[in-house]
Amino acid sequence: MAQGSLVLPRIQTLRPASKLLQLVPGVLLLAAIGWLGKFIEQSVNAYAKAHHLHVPNIEYVLWAILLGLAFSNTVGIPALFQPGVATYEFFLKTGIVLLGARFLLGDVLKLGGVSLGLVVLELAVAFTLMTFLGKWFGLKPKLTTLLAVGSAVCGVSAIIATKGAIDADDEDSSYAIAAILALGAIALFTFPLIGHWLHLSDRAYGLWAGLAVDNTAEASAAGALYSDAAGKVAVLAKTTRNAMIGFVVLGYAIYWASQGQAKRIEGKLSFLWQKFPKFVLGFLLVSVLASVSFFSKEQIGNLANLSRWAFLLTFAGVGLRTNFKELKAQGLRPFAVGAIGEIAIAVVTLGMVLVAAKVFLL
Amino acid sequence: MSQEVNNSEHETRFKLTTDGWAVLVALALALLVRIGIIHRVPW
Repeated sequence: MAQGSLVLPRIQTLRPASKLLQLVPGVLLLAAIGWLGKFIEQSVNAYAKAHHLHVPNIEYVLWAILLGLAFSNTVGIPALFQPGVATYEFFLKTGIVLLGARFLLGDVLKLGGVSLGLVVLELAVAFTLMTFLGKWFGLKPKLTTLLAVGSAVCGVSAIIATKGAIDADDEDSSYAIAAILALGAIALFTFPLIGHWLHLSDRAYGLWAGLAVDNTAEASAAGALYSDAAGKVAVLAKTTRNAMIGFVVLGYAIYWASQGQAKRIEGKLSFLWQKFPKFVLGFLLVSVLASVSFFSKEQIGNLANLSRWAFLLTFAGVGLRTNFKELKAQGLRPFAVGAIGEIAIAVVTLGMVLVAAKVFLL
Repeated sequence: MSQEVNNSEHETRFKLTTDGWAVLVALALALLVRIGIIHRVPW
C-alpha cells in the first residue's frame, strides 16, 4: 500500500504548481490504462452478446492490471510518467475513504469486528511462521522481521515503517519489498480462481483476500476481481489490518532496542499516532455520514462511482509498478521464505474465514 | 504510511502526507456531491 521501491521519484525543491504539472503525464497514463481496461471489458461483453457467444467475463480490474504489466515490462515507464504513476497510492486511499459511503456503520462494526478478531489470529500465525522460516533458511534476523511484518500487516508501507524503526539495511528492505510485491502479483491471479473453485460467498472471499493478500492495492484488486461486493469487504478487512501497523512496528522497535540494535522509542503514544493510517479515519467519517443519512441514495451512488474511478487508476498503477525483471534481480531466498510463508498464511486464513463464515453467517 | 516528510532539516512548514491529501480530496468530493455540484457520476 505504500510507495514501493520501484517507482518512487522524489520531487523536491520545486514550486507547488511545477510539482502538480509533473504529475499530469503519469496520472493521464493511469487514467488511460484504467479506462482502456474498462473499455475492453465492455467491448468483449458487447461482442459476445451480439454474437451469442459464451465467453468468461473478464473484469476491467484484470484488464487494467494486465495492460499496466504489459506496458511496464515491455516499454518501461519513461521518467516523464514516473511521478504521476507513483500517485496510485493517493488514488487508492481516496477510493477507500469514498468507499465509506457504501458501508453503514453497523456493517463496519459487524464486519470490522469479525475482521479484527481474524486479524489478531492472522498476525500471530504470520509472525510465528515467518520467524521460524527465516531462521530455517538462515536469513538475517532483521530481514526476517521485515518479511514477517510485510506478510502479517500491510505489505510495503509496513516494511518501510519498520525499516526506520529497527534500523534495518536498505538492502534488506528492498529484498522484503520485492518478495512481498512479487507474491502480491501472484495472489492477484490465484486467489479469485481458488475462491471460485471453493464457491466462496462474496463476503467470505472478501475477508480472505483482505486478510491474506499483503499490499492494500493488491488486496483491493484481488477482491474486486471476484466481485464488486467482495472488493468492498476485502478493503474493509485490509483496512482493519492496516490499523494494526503502529502496534506491530512499536513491538518490533521495542524488541530490537532491547537487543541494543535500534534506537529506543520515546513517547509511545505519539509513535502509535504517527504510524496510524489516517485515511482509516476518513473512511469511518464518510461511513458515519452515510449512516446518519447525510447523503441521499443517489448521492451515495455517485460517491460509490467516484470511489470506483479512484480504484480504477489504482489498479492500473498496480500493473505499472510491477517490473518482473527488477523483482527477479532481488534473489531467490527471501522470495522462497515469503512464498512458503504466504501459502501457509493463505491456507490458515482460508480455514479461519470458512469457520467465521459458518459462525457469523457471512 | 506515507513518508512524505520534508527532507530539509531546516524546513518547518507543515506538509500534508498522502493520507492527509487523500482524506481532504475525498471529503471535498463528498461535499461537492452533497451540495449538488457533482450531481451525476457515470460508471
